[in-house]
Amino acid sequence: MSHELVIEKVLSNIDRVMIGKRDIAELSMTALLAGGHVLLEDVPGVGKTMMVKALARSIGATFKRIQFTPDLLPSDVLGVSIYNPKEMEFEFRPGPIIGNIVLADEINRTSPKTQAALLESMEESSVTIDGETIRIPQPFFVMATQNPIEYEGTYPLPEAQLDRFLFKLRMGYPKRLEEVEVLVRAEKSVPIDELEPVLSIEDLTVLQKAVKDVDVDHSVKAYMVDCAAETRLNPYVYLGVSPRGSLALMKSCQAYALIKGRTFVTPDDVKYLAPFVFGHRIILKPEAKYEGITTTEIVERILAKVSVPIDRVRTR
Amino acid sequence: MNEGKTDIRLLLFMYGLAFILLWEWLLPVGELTDTDHLSIFLYFTGLSFIFGLLRFRWWISIPLKVIYLFFALHYVFYDTIFIGRETVNTLLADLSSNFSIMAVGDWENITNPFRTVLFFVLLWMTIYLIRHWIEVRKSILLFYAMTVIFIAVLDTFSSYNADGAIFRIMISGLLLLGLLTISKLAEKHGRKLSVGMFISLSLPVVFAVFVSGTLASFMPEQEPAWADPIPFLKSLVNGDSAVGSGESISQSGYDPDDSKLGGSFAQDSTVVFKAVVPKKQYWRIETKNTYTSKGWEQNRIYSDPLSIQPGDLLVDDMTIMSEDNELQTASIQMKTPLPYLVYPYGTSTIHTALDVELNYQPENGRYWAREDGVRIELESYSIDFTEYDLYSLKALRETYPEQYGPEVAQYLQLPENVPDRVRELAMSITETEESVYEKVKKVERYFGRNGFVYDQQNVAIPQGDEDYVDQFLFDTKRGYCDNFSTSMVVLLRAADIPARWAKGFAPGEGKKNSRGMTEYTITNNEAHSWVEAYIPKFGWMPFEPTIGFSNPTQIDYDIELDTSDPQIPEMEEQIRQEQELIETPERVQQKSNANSLWSAVKDFGKKYKWLLFICLAVTALIFRSIYSNRGKWLPKLLIKANRTKKSDWEQFTKQYKILLKQLDRIGLKRSNNMTLSEYANLVDSHYGGGRMGRLTKVYEQGFYGGYTTNQDWQALKEMWESLINSASG
Repeated sequence: MSHELVIEKVLSNIDRVMIGKRDIAELSMTALLAGGHVLLEDVPGVGKTMMVKALARSIGATFKRIQFTPDLLPSDVLGVSIYNPKEMEFEFRPGPIIGNIVLADEINRTSPKTQAALLESMEESSVTIDGETIRIPQPFFVMATQNPIEYEGTYPLPEAQLDRFLFKLRMGYPKRLEEVEVLVRAEKSVPIDELEPVLSIEDLTVLQKAVKDVDVDHSVKAYMVDCAAETRLNPYVYLGVSPRGSLALMKSCQAYALIKGRTFVTPDDVKYLAPFVFGHRIILKPEAKYEGITTTEIVERILAKVSVPIDRVRTR
Repeated sequence: MNEGKTDIRLLLFMYGLAFILLWEWLLPVGELTDTDHLSIFLYFTGLSFIFGLLRFRWWISIPLKVIYLFFALHYVFYDTIFIGRETVNTLLADLSSNFSIMAVGDWENITNPFRTVLFFVLLWMTIYLIRHWIEVRKSILLFYAMTVIFIAVLDTFSSYNADGAIFRIMISGLLLLGLLTISKLAEKHGRKLSVGMFISLSLPVVFAVFVSGTLASFMPEQEPAWADPIPFLKSLVNGDSAVGSGESISQSGYDPDDSKLGGSFAQDSTVVFKAVVPKKQYWRIETKNTYTSKGWEQNRIYSDPLSIQPGDLLVDDMTIMSEDNELQTASIQMKTPLPYLVYPYGTSTIHTALDVELNYQPENGRYWAREDGVRIELESYSIDFTEYDLYSLKALRETYPEQYGPEVAQYLQLPENVPDRVRELAMSITETEESVYEKVKKVERYFGRNGFVYDQQNVAIPQGDEDYVDQFLFDTKRGYCDNFSTSMVVLLRAADIPARWAKGFAPGEGKKNSRGMTEYTITNNEAHSWVEAYIPKFGWMPFEPTIGFSNPTQIDYDIELDTSDPQIPEMEEQIRQEQELIETPERVQQKSNANSLWSAVKDFGKKYKWLLFICLAVTALIFRSIYSNRGKWLPKLLIKANRTKKSDWEQFTKQYKILLKQLDRIGLKRSNNMTLSEYANLVDSHYGGGRMGRLTKVYEQGFYGGYTTNQDWQALKEMWESLINSASG
């Protein structure tokens, strides 16, 4: 079975419970295949948790959920060593972070200390407790959600640490008819419980490997770099996209191309993914914020400016 | 030079152009120096280029060239290509003798065969360089610029006439430049151009060059917008300001009255006569024998004029003529009447068409014509003359003042009031020399070395009891031929050497006429005066003291070369300097005759001005509309052209790009930030169907993914045709 069809099975599985959220499902899948994590930012109740659950069930992976609260401690996330008087030794009790797919709900509600513990374990794919390092089993995919930061009682994530996430996505409210469909389905049953796994962990690993074989033409690489470079030149931008950002863009483009059944990346992929990859990696100047310009708009402006490569340009 | 990637046919064409450029270097060499046998150098050039074209390896081409070189030398110096043992031996001996000459650094004495070899080597290296420029560097600008500068300088400062040359250089050089640029561009983009592509690319260049060339050749030549800056530049270099009290300005030209010399004169380029003659000649009219402190007069005419019939052999008092010299002919066409005939040195017979009587006054050398006892001015005549035999330097150096007879007394005349310093100067110049000839040469050279300046303006006129010669020699040092020649005569006479003042015209500007003969045009600006000195046993010899002019006399340096005698190299150097010097600074811009075709076109244009204008406007409109509607007709042509091509990725890429261009032309613009699939959506939503999307997908697969095989190219081609048809409809 071709990669494309395998992935399509997962996506249609998710479609069964998530109505009108095909794009978010695709993007989540992209991040999963690219080995990155996703930050979902939206108001409560639009289906963030449902999305992650559906994804986890579809691939038959262990699913953990951490609800972040202001009093949550790092050990509540990572795990703790407890003295076992029977065995006469300390025993490691793994925290909820040790799982294949982790939903970190409302991470901006917890203290910076706990946030840092989460972000670090995401970055390292491991946890360190009492000098002991424990690898988190692969695949490891964190989907964090946060309420829009303007809300009260939140600890905003440090902007510099946001690039631990491959994408930052917004769910958005469903359209009218879609919302009606949500109600119709909820009447009958709780659909999420009916989901069967359609992809094994092993298949997922194969797919993750296949992502690396997706071709990126030199001209397209140059296009990505041009886009990243342009963020650094924009007058509204205080801090532009780093080379790590360009690299993230390339990886996600490869994964997205695989989802789309291609073995090569096109500039369309770049244009489609750039807002999600670059959006949270750009730090705007205060004047941009006063003028109400968002990072998404900046990325759109940049994409409108950079020429798409359509012909071979010889460089010596 | 093995990396020549250029097609051999193109290379042939470019070598042809380079050959023309190189030819333009060789032409003036043949004309300005004694180099004969220009053709052997041209053959050599051609041969080298052909060897280059045929990609001969060095071990073939070098021996072949050396063999050619040897045969050429043999031919030049022994007039036969049949190699004999004797001639080969002498040639080899001659060549090898040069190595010892070079070893002691005696560059003056290198023999002619060896000079020729060196010239060949120079040519060889030049050709190699040109081939390098064309094949490897693909840039000829340097050589082209050098050629233009070389020819321009020659045209300005020498008698070489580059009217045709500059035209040929412009055409061939620009063409070569354009073609090389195209092949350079192709190389830069890693394309190998086929001949067809090359020709279509170079068409605009060729068109532009030929149209501008043709237009330029038919355009009337404009008068120079500025006065000729060369005399000014020279005066600047010589660092002088206005000196002298030249008040009166006379016109240059021949005037029998020389009693008041000095003062500036204005340029007058009226043509006096034209002469067809094999070599440059000094045109003599008369001589004068009496110096008056202000000018020249002819006193003491004893005899009645001799009467001669045209065709009679004349007896000249210019004695030394040898019988074995060939008779040469000068045909003279008078354009402005002169009272007396002009004639070259060595005149033996004068032929006129009219049945006229010629008169000759031996004392002043004047010829004039009479018909039925009345003076007339001849319009044309021809003169047989013998070229001077080479004067033997050896014999000339054995001429002593004691050998003079009493008959020369009148040529020693000097006015009483010639200042003593003139006489002292004359003695001081000549006293170191023994022979008469060397004394004269010493005086002749005196002017070139003591800060004298050639100038036609700012020349003083002697006032009151000032002496014309004294003023020039000691005060102004600035003047033209009259100053120099008069001063030399006076100095010679002061040194007891008989001398007289000769008048006439300088050789003038030579141009090849339609029959391949050189026709010299002599204008009033060529009016000239020089010196004749009487050398014992030899007779009257012409000398040229005026700086910028060269002595017409040929000297045979027949004495043993003796390094202990510093005189010889010095003299040779002098001769060479003279040859290098500018021939006549009074060169005038030759106005070309208005081209008759051009004037006819102009007349027509004047008559039908409005008609012409309307025609032009209509043509322009038609072209404009054809151009702006190219979106309609161009695709049809492109489809036709594409049908015959094979179907593969390369061809598909071309087609796809043509399609993009065509869509752009008809208004479906793709902005730079649009990806191809976005654009394809736009196009397909415009025309309906998914043709653009399908084509774009294939293009994207090929371009971004590298999948350039396994496509149904034929079907794609049909799809492309259908889309481009909709786009042009």
